[in-house]
Amino acid sequence: MQIPFTHLQGAHCETATIASLLRHQGLNVTEPQVFGIGSGLFFAYFPFIKVTDQKFPLVSFRGPPGSIIRKNAKRLGVRFHDVTYKDPQRAMDDLDRALDQGIPVAVQTGVFWLPYLPGAFRFHFNAHNVIVFGRDGDEYHMSDPVLAEPVRCLRKDLLRARFSRGEMAPKGRMYYPTLVPKDVDLRVPVMKGIKETAFNMLKIPFPLLGVKGMRRLALTVERWPNKLTPEMAAMNAGHLVLLLEEIGTGGAGFRFMYGAFLADAARILGIEGLADAARRMTEVGDRWRDFALLASRTCKGRDHAEDPYPRLAAILRECADREEAIFKDVRAQVR
Amino acid sequence: MEDLEKELRVLIQKSCDLDDARMATLTDDSPLVGPESPLGLDSLDALEIVTAVQRQYGVRIDNQNTSIRVLQSVRILADFIRSEGARA
Repeated sequence: MQIPFTHLQGAHCETATIASLLRHQGLNVTEPQVFGIGSGLFFAYFPFIKVTDQKFPLVSFRGPPGSIIRKNAKRLGVRFHDVTYKDPQRAMDDLDRALDQGIPVAVQTGVFWLPYLPGAFRFHFNAHNVIVFGRDGDEYHMSDPVLAEPVRCLRKDLLRARFSRGEMAPKGRMYYPTLVPKDVDLRVPVMKGIKETAFNMLKIPFPLLGVKGMRRLALTVERWPNKLTPEMAAMNAGHLVLLLEEIGTGGAGFRFMYGAFLADAARILGIEGLADAARRMTEVGDRWRDFALLASRTCKGRDHAEDPYPRLAAILRECADREEAIFKDVRAQVR
Repeated sequence: MEDLEKELRVLIQKSCDLDDARMATLTDDSPLVGPESPLGLDSLDALEIVTAVQRQYGVRIDNQNTSIRVLQSVRILADFIRSEGARA
């Protein structure tokens, strides 16, 4: 049994999955629109929240897990059935039941256990979203936004991926829309998404969030050579890249996607100035990539010029200044 | 071996500080990044390659899924650059 489903290759699994499910139900939104309406762009630096075994501080380039789907649901008037399970058998039975009813279902998985993915992608990451849209006996038809074409996956592998253990364990989570309005005026959700993102980046009165968080991180990076051994400082630079990096994007991917959203928003809202903001956001993405590249070279000992840390801090401050200017302009245009 | 593939091998060698002996293990169809790569390149090396490709050919690889796809091998990366029309 296979549900007629249009596979969509996307930039990020969560946004691509939501866009695919909504498009299947007749709501024609793109992946960047889902990202923008869900106010996905963010910056947070939490020195007091430690991640990994080496206890490095948390840096995030996007909103908290689950916020994009929640905000899209609210702003687009969509309802999702979104559940987790303790019992793997029940989780698979409910998936089969939904498929039998002709419903494509998104499942959260641990990528390490998905055998169809290339080796470079099979690291321990438990928040990978894919869509299951059919089943032949023990084999499931899957639409994984990483890949160009749909794939098949054995039941035992899918079950293992849905109940992968560790940080952000999926706990069998599956979700699908139960109510999707056919005609949505995108102007209101787009406007709300932009306003919230601009507020989050500029106005949250907390020094570790938005552009203020970028500047605080710049200050920290600048002080590493005085506070840490050269080896630890280099390791910290590497850690920073690993938090930002997504196999070649250097953390810039979300900035590029937000640029695409602003370009769409310019058309949807009929505000020409947002197209200029879109171009500038893409350029900032390139600077984030430069930052990640320098941090990566520092970590690997490939940067032979002296003192990379002030240069890293300078790029961070430049990104903060440029994003501040962009969001101030955007706020002025969507008032 | 075509010109673009040759150029990319030089670009990869330079970007990732690889010696001739290691480069000799790489065919145009070998995986570039990840555990199956004969070069042993990781995601930080991928970032080096992606940035160097953008600088040299004006092609922006703007998300991880495209990265994963196009960094599968030298041949696939070359095909991607050709399809983006970066070379005449």
